[in-house]
Amino acid sequence: MNEAVVLGSIFALFSTGVYCIAVKRNMIRILLGIEIMLNSGNLAFIYFASLKSGRGFIDPLGQSIVIMSIIIGGCVVAVGLSLVVNAYRHFKTMDVRKLRRLKW
Amino acid sequence: MIPTPLLIMLSPIVVFLVGFLGEELKVKNLREAAAVAASAASVVAVYMLYLMVEAAPDGILVFYLQALPPLGACFEIDMLGVFIALSVALLTFFATLYSVRYMEHDTRLTEFYALLSAMSVGMIGVAFAGDFFTLFVFWELMCISSYVLVAFRKEAWGPIEAGFKYLVMSALGATIIFLAMAFLYGMAGTVNFAQLSNALHGQPMSMWLYIVFGLLVVGFGIKAAIVPMHTWLPDAHPEAPSPISAMLSGMLIETGLYGLCRILFLVYEPPAFGAAIAALSILTMCFANLLALLQPDIKRLLAYSSIAQMGYMLVGLSAGSAYGMLGLTAHIFNHSLMKGLAFLSSGSLIHMTGTREIEKMKGVGRMMPVTTFTMFVALLGLGGVPTTNGFISKFILFSSALGAGMWWLTVIGVINSAFSMAYYLRVLKILVSAPEEGGPKVSEAPLLMVIVTAAMAALIILFGVYPAPIINLADSASKALVNGLGKYIGAVLP
Repeated sequence: MNEAVVLGSIFALFSTGVYCIAVKRNMIRILLGIEIMLNSGNLAFIYFASLKSGRGFIDPLGQSIVIMSIIIGGCVVAVGLSLVVNAYRHFKTMDVRKLRRLKW
Repeated sequence: MIPTPLLIMLSPIVVFLVGFLGEELKVKNLREAAAVAASAASVVAVYMLYLMVEAAPDGILVFYLQALPPLGACFEIDMLGVFIALSVALLTFFATLYSVRYMEHDTRLTEFYALLSAMSVGMIGVAFAGDFFTLFVFWELMCISSYVLVAFRKEAWGPIEAGFKYLVMSALGATIIFLAMAFLYGMAGTVNFAQLSNALHGQPMSMWLYIVFGLLVVGFGIKAAIVPMHTWLPDAHPEAPSPISAMLSGMLIETGLYGLCRILFLVYEPPAFGAAIAALSILTMCFANLLALLQPDIKRLLAYSSIAQMGYMLVGLSAGSAYGMLGLTAHIFNHSLMKGLAFLSSGSLIHMTGTREIEKMKGVGRMMPVTTFTMFVALLGLGGVPTTNGFISKFILFSSALGAGMWWLTVIGVINSAFSMAYYLRVLKILVSAPEEGGPKVSEAPLLMVIVTAAMAALIILFGVYPAPIINLADSASKALVNGLGKYIGAVLP
């Protein structure tokens, strides 16, 4: 697989995540956008780990970082989902545009 | 091999278990005692580490976990890390002690103290991290506990909304930092700070280095509330409980700044980032000061003031010299005291009056004299009045910009600093003016809260009149960052 394809997909995943966070109204979709962005970082780590030690071998550092980052991402989304549940109790909606009571 | 002082990293677990035990056995105040003891222990532990760092030959301690780098994680503790950790530990101690009375009517307090302790340990871990991956793990520990703490009073809609906003922004920042880490790993083949610096420092700026610079500034900048990435802060800080606001504003955003400084100095030469940081600094100062003037809510005003102080600190980073970093590190410590005190005092005011609106606090100063006096000290310190510690670090910050040949930055900074007095004095004027008919009838805050705020006010004045200890410590911290790069690399690489 050549470099352009992988870097292209890293960029595509990253922009998909940013798009999700910026445009989507549903709070759960916003959290999914964060997960997608995190996966672009994971993909980058896996790819660079495979480059480092030549053909056939993969740097274990990159792999272990990716495993930890998946766990951490899970924790963040778990906290986020609990906030979504609480927000639904207060606002009776999943629409993030209704969460506009705090002015700036 | 992990030395004994680093065992404070386990304090959240201990606090949680002891708190749980206290609930089961119905022992009153056991969890509060455990939390205060743990925070006091972390102050002692950081002081012991300070002595160890001072005794070490190069002023750097390195502890490997499991394997040697690049494979294993490591803690690399230098003077800067100790300085940041000391500020964190001190502020955590004050905030925990204050929470004992402030939070007594809330439920789920075991979780509260465990999370507070976890947030503090996360910040200390960020300061001690010797590789980017360790930094990231502790960064997320700090972030995740702070999300829950901001939304702690979930019965109201405000904290939930602010918490969700904060979570989305901050998680976005963390993923951007993660991507920057991936690119650095791709370029250098390691995430260890010393090896990264050895491979990348002094290289000509390539496209990838510019991309990583942008990602780092945005990622850490979201946490450090640099305008235009600040939008979570004015919501999250007012809605959190007051001791948490003090921690967030006093140390958490500075931890973001610490991460940015550490990695920028490791990978780039100061001239490469000076101009960009200076532009962000001007934007941050002007925007935050202007908006702070318009706030009717006292905690929101203080939140905007935090953003403005962050702009002043960026002046030191954009100067890029050891003198500029001296101002930055000294201001981190001083700001943690001043803004911590300002939030704790305003917490006492809110606790007694039950309102956050400044206009409704007319005449409260005559009923709560000690709290108003501590608020007075904190706000004057934030405004940079001589005899408070804020004056000294601000003076160093603005003169460092002159030393770097950026006189326009000094002019804008000083004008902003003078301008900021307008909203600090407005708060003070309302507090000390004559009470109105139908205004709040309150008495002085509980004794423990008054003692904490009075002790912090005493420290502010003490370090304003006798700044030598802090300035000396900050001086060796900034020299370790700016001039000690060779030693920092040499401690890990043979």
